[in-house]
Amino acid sequence: MDQPRIDEDQQLVARTQDGDAGAFDQLVVKYTPRLYGLVYNMTSNHEDTNDLLQDIFSKAYKSIRGFRGKSSFYTWIHSISVNMTLNFLKKRGRRFHMSLDDVDAGIQNDKEFLEVTQTSSPVREADLSELQRRLNEAMMKLSDEHRAVVTMFHIQGMPHAEISKILNVSEGTVRSRLFYANRQLQNYLDEFRKDPVT
Amino acid sequence: MDEFDDNEIGRLLRLKKYEQPPPGYFENFLHEFHRRQRDELLRQPLWKIALGRAQDFMMSLNVARLASYPVAATAVMLCAAVISLKVYQSPTTPTVARLAPIVPAQSANDGGWSLATPVSTRITVSQPRSHLSTHRAATPTRYVLDSMPVSYESSLRF
Repeated sequence: MDQPRIDEDQQLVARTQDGDAGAFDQLVVKYTPRLYGLVYNMTSNHEDTNDLLQDIFSKAYKSIRGFRGKSSFYTWIHSISVNMTLNFLKKRGRRFHMSLDDVDAGIQNDKEFLEVTQTSSPVREADLSELQRRLNEAMMKLSDEHRAVVTMFHIQGMPHAEISKILNVSEGTVRSRLFYANRQLQNYLDEFRKDPVT
Repeated sequence: MDEFDDNEIGRLLRLKKYEQPPPGYFENFLHEFHRRQRDELLRQPLWKIALGRAQDFMMSLNVARLASYPVAATAVMLCAAVISLKVYQSPTTPTVARLAPIVPAQSANDGGWSLATPVSTRITVSQPRSHLSTHRAATPTRYVLDSMPVSYESSLRF
Protein backbone atom coordinates (compact mmCIF):
# COMPACT_ATOMS: atom_id res chain seq x y z
CA MET A 1 0.00 0.00 0.00
CA ASP A 2 1.36 3.37 -0.91
CA GLN A 3 1.31 6.31 1.48
CA PRO A 4 -0.77 8.70 -0.69
CA ARG A 5 -3.55 6.15 -0.91
CA ILE A 6 -3.68 5.81 2.87
CA ASP A 7 -3.65 9.57 3.36
CA GLU A 8 -6.41 10.02 0.84
CA ASP A 9 -8.48 7.31 2.50
CA GLN A 10 -7.90 8.84 5.92
CA GLN A 11 -9.15 12.18 4.69
CA LEU A 12 -12.23 10.62 3.14
CA VAL A 13 -12.92 8.63 6.31
CA ALA A 14 -12.56 11.75 8.46
CA ARG A 15 -14.91 13.67 6.20
CA THR A 16 -17.42 10.82 6.31
CA GLN A 17 -17.23 10.78 10.09
CA ASP A 18 -17.98 14.49 10.04
CA GLY A 19 -21.17 13.76 8.12
CA ASP A 20 -20.02 14.23 4.53
CA ALA A 21 -21.85 11.41 2.72
CA GLY A 22 -20.17 12.41 -0.53
CA ALA A 23 -16.81 11.41 0.89
CA PHE A 24 -18.12 7.92 1.55
CA ASP A 25 -19.42 7.79 -2.03
CA GLN A 26 -15.84 8.36 -3.17
CA LEU A 27 -14.68 5.45 -1.04
CA VAL A 28 -17.44 3.28 -2.53
CA VAL A 29 -16.46 4.17 -6.07
CA LYS A 30 -12.80 3.58 -5.30
CA TYR A 31 -13.15 0.19 -3.62
CA THR A 32 -16.06 -1.37 -5.51
CA PRO A 33 -14.01 -2.99 -8.34
CA ARG A 34 -11.44 -4.42 -5.96
CA LEU A 35 -13.95 -5.74 -3.44
CA TYR A 36 -16.11 -7.06 -6.25
CA GLY A 37 -13.18 -9.22 -7.36
CA LEU A 38 -12.61 -10.43 -3.83
CA VAL A 39 -16.21 -11.42 -3.18
CA TYR A 40 -16.87 -12.74 -6.68
CA ASN A 41 -13.88 -15.08 -6.61
CA MET A 42 -15.00 -16.38 -3.23
CA THR A 43 -18.62 -16.98 -4.28
CA SER A 44 -18.40 -17.66 -8.05
CA ASN A 45 -21.80 -16.03 -8.37
CA HIS A 46 -22.45 -12.56 -9.74
CA GLU A 47 -25.85 -11.99 -8.08
CA ASP A 48 -24.62 -13.10 -4.66
CA THR A 49 -21.61 -10.85 -5.10
CA ASN A 50 -23.77 -7.87 -5.92
CA ASP A 51 -26.01 -8.35 -2.87
CA LEU A 52 -23.06 -8.97 -0.59
CA LEU A 53 -21.23 -5.92 -1.84
CA GLN A 54 -24.25 -3.72 -1.13
CA ASP A 55 -24.47 -5.15 2.38
CA ILE A 56 -20.73 -4.69 2.92
CA PHE A 57 -20.80 -0.98 2.07
CA SER A 58 -23.98 -0.51 4.05
CA LYS A 59 -22.37 -2.06 7.10
CA ALA A 60 -19.19 -0.05 6.57
CA TYR A 61 -21.20 3.18 6.41
CA LYS A 62 -23.02 2.37 9.64
CA SER A 63 -19.80 1.40 11.41
CA ILE A 64 -17.48 4.08 10.10
CA ARG A 65 -18.07 6.39 13.07
CA GLY A 66 -16.51 3.70 15.22
CA PHE A 67 -13.49 3.36 12.93
CA ARG A 68 -10.58 4.75 14.93
CA GLY A 69 -7.84 4.20 12.35
CA LYS A 70 -5.97 1.47 14.20
CA SER A 71 -5.66 -0.22 10.81
CA SER A 72 -5.90 1.38 7.39
CA PHE A 73 -9.32 1.77 5.79
CA TYR A 74 -8.10 -0.63 3.11
CA THR A 75 -7.51 -3.37 5.69
CA TRP A 76 -10.70 -2.53 7.57
CA ILE A 77 -13.01 -2.69 4.54
CA HIS A 78 -11.34 -5.88 3.31
CA SER A 79 -11.82 -7.48 6.74
CA ILE A 80 -15.51 -6.62 6.69
CA SER A 81 -15.79 -8.03 3.17
CA VAL A 82 -14.04 -11.31 3.93
CA ASN A 83 -15.92 -11.88 7.19
CA MET A 84 -19.30 -11.14 5.68
CA THR A 85 -18.56 -13.33 2.67
CA LEU A 86 -17.40 -16.21 4.86
CA ASN A 87 -20.58 -15.91 6.93
CA PHE A 88 -22.66 -15.88 3.78
CA LEU A 89 -20.89 -18.96 2.41
CA LYS A 90 -21.51 -20.84 5.64
CA LYS A 91 -25.22 -20.12 5.33
CA ARG A 92 -25.31 -20.91 1.63
CA GLY A 93 -23.69 -24.30 2.12
CA ARG A 94 -22.94 -26.54 -0.79
CA ARG A 95 -26.15 -25.93 -2.68
CA PHE A 96 -25.44 -23.21 -5.15
CA HIS A 97 -24.91 -22.65 -8.82
CA MET A 98 -22.11 -20.80 -10.48
CA SER A 99 -23.08 -17.55 -12.17
CA LEU A 100 -19.90 -16.48 -13.85
CA ASP A 101 -19.04 -13.17 -15.38
CA ASP A 102 -17.84 -13.01 -18.95
CA VAL A 103 -14.12 -13.15 -19.54
CA ASP A 104 -12.91 -9.83 -20.81
CA ALA A 105 -11.48 -9.93 -24.30
CA GLY A 106 -8.35 -8.26 -23.00
CA ILE A 107 -7.15 -11.64 -21.75
CA GLN A 108 -6.07 -12.52 -25.28
CA ASN A 109 -3.38 -9.89 -25.07
CA ASP A 110 -2.29 -10.70 -21.54
CA LYS A 111 1.34 -11.69 -21.36
CA GLU A 112 0.71 -14.34 -18.74
CA PHE A 113 -2.15 -15.83 -20.71
CA LEU A 114 0.07 -16.12 -23.76
CA GLU A 115 2.76 -17.79 -21.67
CA VAL A 116 0.31 -20.25 -20.15
CA THR A 117 -1.16 -21.19 -23.49
CA GLN A 118 2.30 -21.68 -24.92
CA THR A 119 3.66 -23.84 -22.12
CA SER A 120 0.61 -25.80 -21.02
CA SER A 121 -0.98 -28.13 -23.52
CA PRO A 122 -4.30 -28.53 -21.60
CA VAL A 123 -4.78 -24.79 -21.52
CA ARG A 124 -3.80 -24.54 -25.16
CA GLU A 125 -6.34 -27.16 -26.14
CA ALA A 126 -9.22 -25.88 -24.03
CA ASP A 127 -11.27 -22.90 -25.05
CA LEU A 128 -11.56 -19.90 -22.73
CA SER A 129 -14.96 -20.73 -21.25
CA GLU A 130 -13.82 -24.27 -20.50
CA LEU A 131 -10.71 -22.95 -18.80
CA GLN A 132 -12.82 -20.54 -16.78
CA ARG A 133 -15.23 -23.28 -15.71
CA ARG A 134 -12.39 -25.57 -14.66
CA LEU A 135 -10.68 -22.89 -12.66
CA ASN A 136 -13.86 -21.91 -10.86
CA GLU A 137 -14.75 -25.52 -10.13
CA ALA A 138 -11.32 -26.10 -8.69
CA MET A 139 -11.63 -22.96 -6.56
CA MET A 140 -15.03 -23.99 -5.25
CA LYS A 141 -13.63 -27.32 -4.12
CA LEU A 142 -11.41 -25.51 -1.66
CA SER A 143 -12.67 -24.68 1.80
CA ASP A 144 -13.98 -21.14 2.21
CA GLU A 145 -10.97 -20.06 4.28
CA HIS A 146 -8.48 -21.50 1.77
CA ARG A 147 -10.33 -19.89 -1.11
CA ALA A 148 -10.15 -16.53 0.64
CA VAL A 149 -6.37 -16.81 0.94
CA VAL A 150 -5.94 -17.98 -2.66
CA THR A 151 -8.14 -15.14 -3.93
CA MET A 152 -6.25 -12.48 -2.03
CA PHE A 153 -2.79 -13.82 -2.84
CA HIS A 154 -2.99 -15.18 -6.38
CA ILE A 155 -5.81 -13.15 -7.90
CA GLN A 156 -5.58 -9.85 -6.04
CA GLY A 157 -1.83 -9.95 -5.55
CA MET A 158 -1.81 -9.06 -1.84
CA PRO A 159 1.30 -9.78 0.22
CA HIS A 160 1.17 -12.32 3.05
CA ALA A 161 1.44 -9.61 5.70
CA GLU A 162 -1.62 -7.78 4.40
CA ILE A 163 -3.65 -10.99 4.21
CA SER A 164 -2.69 -11.87 7.77
CA LYS A 165 -3.94 -8.47 8.96
CA ILE A 166 -7.21 -8.81 7.08
CA LEU A 167 -7.87 -12.32 8.36
CA ASN A 168 -6.42 -11.56 11.79
CA VAL A 169 -4.20 -14.65 11.67
CA SER A 170 -0.44 -15.05 11.65
CA GLU A 171 1.59 -14.87 8.46
CA GLY A 172 2.56 -18.50 9.09
CA THR A 173 -1.09 -19.46 8.99
CA VAL A 174 -1.51 -17.59 5.72
CA ARG A 175 1.49 -19.38 4.18
CA SER A 176 0.30 -22.74 5.47
CA ARG A 177 -3.19 -22.24 4.05
CA LEU A 178 -1.73 -21.13 0.75
CA PHE A 179 0.56 -24.16 0.54
CA TYR A 180 -2.28 -26.55 1.30
CA ALA A 181 -4.62 -24.81 -1.16
CA ASN A 182 -2.00 -24.96 -3.92
CA ARG A 183 -1.60 -28.70 -3.41
CA GLN A 184 -5.34 -29.18 -3.65
CA LEU A 185 -5.60 -27.02 -6.75
CA GLN A 186 -2.78 -29.03 -8.33
CA ASN A 187 -4.76 -32.22 -7.76
CA TYR A 188 -7.98 -30.78 -9.14
CA LEU A 189 -6.33 -29.22 -12.15
CA ASP A 190 -4.38 -32.41 -12.81
CA GLU A 191 -7.65 -33.93 -13.96
CA PHE A 192 -7.92 -31.03 -16.35
CA ARG A 193 -4.43 -31.86 -17.62
CA LYS A 194 -5.39 -35.48 -18.24
CA ASP A 195 -8.73 -34.68 -19.83
CA PRO A 196 -8.69 -31.07 -21.07
CA VAL A 197 -11.81 -30.98 -23.25
CA THR A 198 -14.59 -32.88 -21.52
CA MET B 1 5.48 -29.09 -19.31
CA ASP B 2 2.04 -30.62 -18.71
CA GLU B 3 1.96 -30.58 -14.92
CA PHE B 4 0.79 -27.52 -13.07
CA ASP B 5 3.34 -26.23 -10.62
CA ASP B 6 2.78 -23.42 -8.13
CA ASN B 7 3.84 -20.74 -10.58
CA GLU B 8 1.54 -22.00 -13.27
CA ILE B 9 -1.37 -22.24 -10.86
CA GLY B 10 -0.66 -18.70 -9.84
CA ARG B 11 -0.61 -17.53 -13.44
CA LEU B 12 -3.84 -19.38 -14.23
CA LEU B 13 -5.59 -17.90 -11.22
CA ARG B 14 -4.41 -14.42 -12.05
CA LEU B 15 -6.31 -14.77 -15.32
CA LYS B 16 -9.51 -14.81 -13.29
CA LYS B 17 -9.18 -11.05 -12.93
CA TYR B 18 -10.45 -10.90 -16.51
CA GLU B 19 -13.81 -12.18 -15.34
CA GLN B 20 -15.68 -8.92 -15.24
CA PRO B 21 -19.29 -7.94 -14.47
CA PRO B 22 -21.50 -6.60 -17.27
CA PRO B 23 -20.51 -3.22 -18.73
CA GLY B 24 -21.80 -0.30 -16.70
CA TYR B 25 -22.07 -2.36 -13.53
CA PHE B 26 -19.55 -0.32 -11.55
CA GLU B 27 -21.00 2.95 -12.82
CA ASN B 28 -24.48 1.97 -11.61
CA PHE B 29 -23.34 0.44 -8.36
CA LEU B 30 -23.31 3.71 -6.42
CA HIS B 31 -26.78 4.63 -7.68
CA GLU B 32 -28.06 1.22 -6.62
CA PHE B 33 -26.35 1.64 -3.24
CA HIS B 34 -28.15 4.95 -2.64
CA ARG B 35 -31.47 3.43 -3.68
CA ARG B 36 -31.06 0.53 -1.24
CA GLN B 37 -30.06 2.88 1.56
CA ARG B 38 -33.20 4.95 1.00
CA ASP B 39 -35.38 1.82 0.94
CA GLU B 40 -33.80 0.60 4.14
CA LEU B 41 -34.38 3.96 5.79
CA LEU B 42 -38.04 3.95 4.81
CA ARG B 43 -38.53 0.48 6.23
CA GLN B 44 -37.16 1.48 9.63
CA PRO B 45 -39.59 2.32 12.42
CA LEU B 46 -39.86 5.96 13.40
CA TRP B 47 -38.27 5.50 16.83
CA LYS B 48 -35.21 3.93 15.27
CA ILE B 49 -34.77 6.83 12.88
CA ALA B 50 -35.20 9.29 15.76
CA LEU B 51 -32.65 7.40 17.83
CA GLY B 52 -30.20 7.46 14.95
CA ARG B 53 -30.72 11.19 14.45
CA ALA B 54 -30.17 11.79 18.16
CA GLN B 55 -26.97 9.78 18.08
CA ASP B 56 -25.80 11.72 15.03
CA PHE B 57 -26.58 14.97 16.79
CA MET B 58 -24.62 13.94 19.87
CA MET B 59 -21.71 12.86 17.74
CA SER B 60 -21.78 16.12 15.80
CA LEU B 61 -21.46 18.00 19.08
CA ASN B 62 -18.27 16.08 19.67
CA VAL B 63 -19.51 14.78 22.97
CA ALA B 64 -17.96 11.40 22.62
CA ARG B 65 -16.17 12.02 25.87
CA LEU B 66 -19.51 12.56 27.50
CA ALA B 67 -20.61 9.12 26.47
CA SER B 68 -19.70 7.89 29.93
CA TYR B 69 -22.03 10.41 31.57
CA PRO B 70 -25.22 8.48 30.90
CA VAL B 71 -23.55 5.43 32.41
CA ALA B 72 -22.44 7.40 35.45
CA ALA B 73 -25.88 8.97 35.84
CA THR B 74 -27.51 5.56 35.61
CA ALA B 75 -25.13 4.20 38.23
CA VAL B 76 -25.89 7.10 40.58
CA MET B 77 -29.62 6.60 40.11
CA LEU B 78 -29.28 2.90 40.77
CA CYS B 79 -27.31 3.56 43.95
CA ALA B 80 -29.90 6.08 45.09
CA ALA B 81 -32.68 3.61 44.41
CA VAL B 82 -30.93 0.87 46.38
CA ILE B 83 -30.21 3.17 49.32
CA SER B 84 -33.76 4.48 49.44
CA LEU B 85 -35.11 0.95 49.34
CA LYS B 86 -32.88 0.02 52.27
CA VAL B 87 -34.04 3.04 54.23
CA TYR B 88 -37.69 2.31 53.69
CA GLN B 89 -37.31 -1.35 54.49
CA SER B 90 -35.39 -0.83 57.76
CA PRO B 91 -37.34 -1.69 60.97
CA THR B 92 -39.43 1.23 62.09
CA THR B 93 -39.48 2.54 65.62
CA PRO B 94 -42.39 1.01 67.50
CA THR B 95 -45.19 3.43 68.12
CA VAL B 96 -47.16 1.43 70.58
CA ALA B 97 -47.03 1.89 74.29
CA ARG B 98 -45.56 -0.71 76.48
CA LEU B 99 -48.09 -3.02 77.93
CA ALA B 100 -48.62 -2.74 81.60
CA PRO B 101 -48.73 -5.97 83.50
CA ILE B 102 -52.24 -7.24 83.82
CA VAL B 103 -51.78 -8.60 87.29
CA PRO B 104 -50.49 -6.18 89.90
CA ALA B 105 -47.22 -7.40 91.13
CA GLN B 106 -47.28 -5.76 94.46
CA SER B 107 -49.82 -4.16 96.62
CA ALA B 108 -49.16 -0.83 98.23
CA ASN B 109 -49.72 -1.95 101.71
CA ASP B 110 -48.17 -5.38 101.40
CA GLY B 111 -51.02 -6.74 103.25
CA GLY B 112 -52.60 -8.45 100.44
CA TRP B 113 -56.04 -7.83 99.20
CA SER B 114 -58.63 -6.20 101.31
CA LEU B 115 -62.01 -4.90 100.50
CA ALA B 116 -61.08 -1.60 102.04
CA THR B 117 -58.58 -0.87 99.48
CA PRO B 118 -60.15 0.76 96.52
CA VAL B 119 -59.07 -0.57 93.26
CA SER B 120 -58.57 2.83 91.86
CA THR B 121 -55.92 3.67 94.40
CA ARG B 122 -53.85 0.65 93.73
CA ILE B 123 -50.50 1.54 92.50
CA THR B 124 -49.06 -0.87 90.09
CA VAL B 125 -45.48 -1.09 89.24
CA SER B 126 -44.67 -2.30 85.90
CA GLN B 127 -41.99 -4.85 85.81
CA PRO B 128 -39.93 -5.45 82.80
CA ARG B 129 -40.67 -8.73 81.25
CA SER B 130 -37.23 -9.62 80.31
CA HIS B 131 -38.17 -13.04 79.10
CA LEU B 132 -39.96 -11.46 76.19
CA SER B 133 -36.96 -10.43 74.29
CA THR B 134 -38.10 -8.62 71.22
CA HIS B 135 -36.71 -5.55 69.54
CA ARG B 136 -39.30 -3.57 71.43
CA ALA B 137 -37.75 -4.37 74.78
CA ALA B 138 -35.04 -1.78 74.39
CA THR B 139 -37.34 1.04 73.54
CA PRO B 140 -38.35 3.51 76.22
CA THR B 141 -41.76 3.37 77.71
CA ARG B 142 -44.30 5.36 75.82
CA TYR B 143 -47.81 6.29 76.50
CA VAL B 144 -50.57 6.53 74.07
CA LEU B 145 -52.53 9.71 74.37
CA ASP B 146 -55.87 10.34 72.88
CA SER B 147 -55.79 12.47 69.87
CA MET B 148 -58.07 14.96 71.57
CA PRO B 149 -57.67 15.98 75.22
CA VAL B 150 -60.57 15.11 77.45
CA SER B 151 -61.13 18.73 78.33
CA TYR B 152 -61.86 19.49 74.72
CA GLU B 153 -64.52 16.88 74.44
CA SER B 154 -67.89 18.32 74.04
CA SER B 155 -70.40 17.84 76.73
CA LEU B 156 -73.11 15.33 76.48
CA ARG B 157 -75.26 15.65 73.52
CA PHE B 158 -78.79 14.52 73.27
